[in-house]
Amino acid sequence: MKSNVLAELQRIVGARLLTGEADVLTYSYDSALDRARPEAVVLLKNAAETQSVVQALLSHETPYVCRGAGTNLSGGCIPLRGGVVLSTALMNRILQIDTANLTAAVEPGVVNLDLQKAAERHGLFYAPDPASMKACTLGGNVAENSGGPRTVKYGMTTHHVLALEAVMPDAGLQKFSIDDAGPEMMSLLIGAEGTLGVVTKIWVKLTPIPEKIQTILASFSSMEDAIKTVSDIIASGVVPRVLEALDRMSIEAVEAYLHAGYPAGAEAVLLMELDGAPPEVAADAALVEEISRKNRCVLYRVATEAQDRERLWEGRRGVYAAMARVAPNVLVEDGVVPRNRLVEALREIRRASAKWDVRIGLLFHAGDGNLHPNVVYDERDAGQTRRAKGAGFDILKACVAMGGSISGEHGIGVDKRRAMAWLFTPETLNLFRRIKASLDPGHLSNPDKIIPLPEESAAADSEVRDNPGTQNGPGGFVVPRMPLSPAAKALVEEVKRWGRGGAAAPRSMAVFGTGARMPSRWRNEFSGHRLETSAIGAILDLDRENYTVRVEAGIELRKLREILAAQRFYLRLPDLGGTVGGALAAKHWRGIRDCVLGMRLLLSNGDVVEVGGKVMKDVAGYEIQKLVLGSWGGLGLILDVTLRLYAREQKIFLNLPEPLPFTPNRWHLLIKKAFDPLDLWAIPETGPDLTAAGGSGPT
Amino acid sequence: MMGDLKVLRTELGDRPFYDSVSQCNRCGYCESVCPTYVLTGKESYSGRGRNQLVRLMLEGKLEDPKAAEDALSTCLLCGACTAACYARVATVDHVLEARRSLRNGHLPLIAGVLMKLLADRRPLLDRMLKIAYALKRTGLPAWAARMGLLKLAGLDALQNADSHVHELPRRFLSDIRSGRPRPAAPKWFYLTLCGPNYLYPKVGEATLAALEETLGEGEALENACCGLLHFNYGDLNLSRSLARRNIEIYERRRAQTGLEGPVVGDCSSCVAHLKSYPQLFLDDPLWLPRAEAFSKNVKDSVESFSLEEAAALKKRRPQGEKVTYHDSCRARNAMGLARNQRQILKAVLGERFVELPQAEWCCGGAGAYSFVHPELSEEVLKSKISNIASTQAGIVLTSSTSCLVQLAYGLKKYYPSCRVMHFTEFLAQTDA
Repeated sequence: MKSNVLAELQRIVGARLLTGEADVLTYSYDSALDRARPEAVVLLKNAAETQSVVQALLSHETPYVCRGAGTNLSGGCIPLRGGVVLSTALMNRILQIDTANLTAAVEPGVVNLDLQKAAERHGLFYAPDPASMKACTLGGNVAENSGGPRTVKYGMTTHHVLALEAVMPDAGLQKFSIDDAGPEMMSLLIGAEGTLGVVTKIWVKLTPIPEKIQTILASFSSMEDAIKTVSDIIASGVVPRVLEALDRMSIEAVEAYLHAGYPAGAEAVLLMELDGAPPEVAADAALVEEISRKNRCVLYRVATEAQDRERLWEGRRGVYAAMARVAPNVLVEDGVVPRNRLVEALREIRRASAKWDVRIGLLFHAGDGNLHPNVVYDERDAGQTRRAKGAGFDILKACVAMGGSISGEHGIGVDKRRAMAWLFTPETLNLFRRIKASLDPGHLSNPDKIIPLPEESAAADSEVRDNPGTQNGPGGFVVPRMPLSPAAKALVEEVKRWGRGGAAAPRSMAVFGTGARMPSRWRNEFSGHRLETSAIGAILDLDRENYTVRVEAGIELRKLREILAAQRFYLRLPDLGGTVGGALAAKHWRGIRDCVLGMRLLLSNGDVVEVGGKVMKDVAGYEIQKLVLGSWGGLGLILDVTLRLYAREQKIFLNLPEPLPFTPNRWHLLIKKAFDPLDLWAIPETGPDLTAAGGSGPT
Repeated sequence: MMGDLKVLRTELGDRPFYDSVSQCNRCGYCESVCPTYVLTGKESYSGRGRNQLVRLMLEGKLEDPKAAEDALSTCLLCGACTAACYARVATVDHVLEARRSLRNGHLPLIAGVLMKLLADRRPLLDRMLKIAYALKRTGLPAWAARMGLLKLAGLDALQNADSHVHELPRRFLSDIRSGRPRPAAPKWFYLTLCGPNYLYPKVGEATLAALEETLGEGEALENACCGLLHFNYGDLNLSRSLARRNIEIYERRRAQTGLEGPVVGDCSSCVAHLKSYPQLFLDDPLWLPRAEAFSKNVKDSVESFSLEEAAALKKRRPQGEKVTYHDSCRARNAMGLARNQRQILKAVLGERFVELPQAEWCCGGAGAYSFVHPELSEEVLKSKISNIASTQAGIVLTSSTSCLVQLAYGLKKYYPSCRVMHFTEFLAQTDA
């Protein structure tokens, strides 16, 4: 690194530039195994300073990695290309807690638990609760889109962030909010693992502490019984606040430290929590007890005293840390499977454990299908390390083969980078690459993370090709991908013809549904090529056990609701009208982002990209399925989506204004460049004359 | 590496030093409880960072072995990291051992002399201290400090020490107690530790009075320095020889009186060290069982009184003032003693007892830390004092000498409407 970069950084931050050997070495690791040494560390103080620092790094083409507490479990904080680590440890002020609007504004270095404590004083809580909450920071939580036990009811970090301020890779300081018109940049930054900018301020949603919280501990003589209980609870319509499973090894490690009150000798324990108004909790509790007993629970204990509950929680949160009692290193995998396939996943984990001769402690966010096998080993033994990694990768492959994902909440970092090539199609990975290149052309902001390097992609491709084996077969695995319907295929062909100039010179295209939201003048006057989604209206997959539905975008929302309701499945949406695709493309209701689990998108070059899936949490890759919401067809044509379902009716009554098309800002244009380099997708123009067209308002 | 301790006695059993260091899986749960990390934001100033540096030293991966010196020397040794650690990684022991190896037997002149005197020449030390105390009362050292003379003489540490210690006793505890007859059947032993002896005889007197009132007659042992100073800053062999001497003294009195314990001490730092004597003799089959037999009888003054006993001490305690409690690190983090004191104080004081926010945070005293790293220590102290101020307490209680010195200094400087007392001093107090 050129010494003039350091001189410049020193001018900006003074003594908070660290270059000593002890300093750079202690920023060369995080909680995973990887190591790489930075050349310097900057302890950031505020946004303006961060901007100057990024500007200096940009002008000297020096790579940088932003880091909070360094509790990352996938090597996300490792400065793979050296350069500078930007630490937010000193940006740790809670700037505001707004008890009227239930929001908080914090600096990125605020420790999650500190925010919890501050909110608690006002009867509020911050829902995302990673087990590392004692140490991990909000900035890190945003970067990873962290979850936690409460995710099963309250969602991930992305569901609780309202706005972000970030220094973008071009050194511009920018605020992004959930209410921004157009493709929502905020969602893109969440879970981007610091590859698209450095977050300097975070606005989050706080939630009132429920009137009653009841913690239930149920033990079982087999993990299978415990998991069956979980499936039955989900099917009963009870949405617990948490639904966690621990196996014997995890229980024993924690009990040795804490004596938290987990029963000795149990093969599996479910830690469940119900919250809400007392009558509601009582009714749910009765159901949960009945289901647990039906599934042969051995011990069933209810804790309502705050102290007992906290003790059980301390135990649960300590499982990963307590693995240090068993062995010096622990590889925590983070795969996710559809909720109804946990038993299968369990079998795969046991198989991997036997095959690689490694000990694996189990910990599930069972309610979400998120598995944390803790593979213990000693890195000082090269053979053990190799076997631990081998077992980890086998487990991830099994998750992918079951239609799951490789990370539910810990992120990809560098550890799971090559597994990305098993999960995503080459077309999808290329889109990720273009997004990164568009926002960070110099590849300076946390380079070489998330997206597989070209050689890793190539290796994965040949692995999939050479081992076509049966699903979960010993040699290889197949990624279950749903074929496109004939109507969808026809649309792809149509786009290829127009987009690539097959039929004529490329010209602009636009997507049309039923026209429920589209300004009518635009609809009438658009002169480019029209792509109608009316032909793609099928229900592709209704998963009754996992509570998801996959539908093509052209299906009408009201019709879908009717079909689902007849079978007692419910969407968490207000009555929006029009097509599913239209409601998404216009982001008619901002809460719609929380319903979408997966999406298949047709790009203007004819590529079909697929992100997310049918699992409840999935942080692998950029969250395209949220970014395209509000894009009005400007980024791609939504072919199909997977939506989350509930077993009880979700009543949301809202009188929503008609959504308005947006005027692209410079971020939108950069994003568009990644999705649609030739600028083929046209979007409705904004303007009062357009939106007011038609006798009965926008149709 | 390393210094001397080949094997560490940890919560997970006796482990070779390298294994003990490697046990840290870098989960980072210790970071937010480490005062030096929270204040500076530097990873090398955290429990995890320090452990990693020790490991890199062991593995020979530091280009400059001295690179870790600053990170190691700034450790408060408060042990908050270990208390927060699910695997109880013994960071304090790792840091100490690494410091020993870096020191390689070399000590600052004054520290070396002081430790030698403490170990071998107690009468001489007593005389010297009395002269020094008298000198201090003349104001001469403060004058010298103002003139920069101490700095000139390379004695900055003394300058800081001088500004820290405000009141000095005219008689040592050992003087006060000398000549008392030993009871034939004592109910307890009392260890005369250096802090209460040289700096706070009134604390020792209070503990002795409270013990007499609750348990009956007992005996103050004519013990040696516990050796903590030597363990932390100097020569392990000197520390061992002090430990042997204390064990022998105890064994002799035990044989003559038939009393096994309790052996009560009222400086939590020393008591924690006395309880960990076995650590010094893990490879010494002769002394290990003797050390274990001694250590298991050692009790901190904060755990020596039951709720009923303490409540029975009917004293006229100052009325009206709120009282709060600061945990001495070694009491809470090393010995896990936090509950008994609080139960007693709540019972005795009712609503007047207020919890101190972040009571478990180090005050920055940390033995000689405040003299060696005055700036960092001052930052740690300020956060402690502002927490004390937030309770509006008139009295803050604690249980180790180093905390008494540091808090007295900090309160005088930043929050003079509060004063610090030792826990037993408060319990045994006869009037306001």
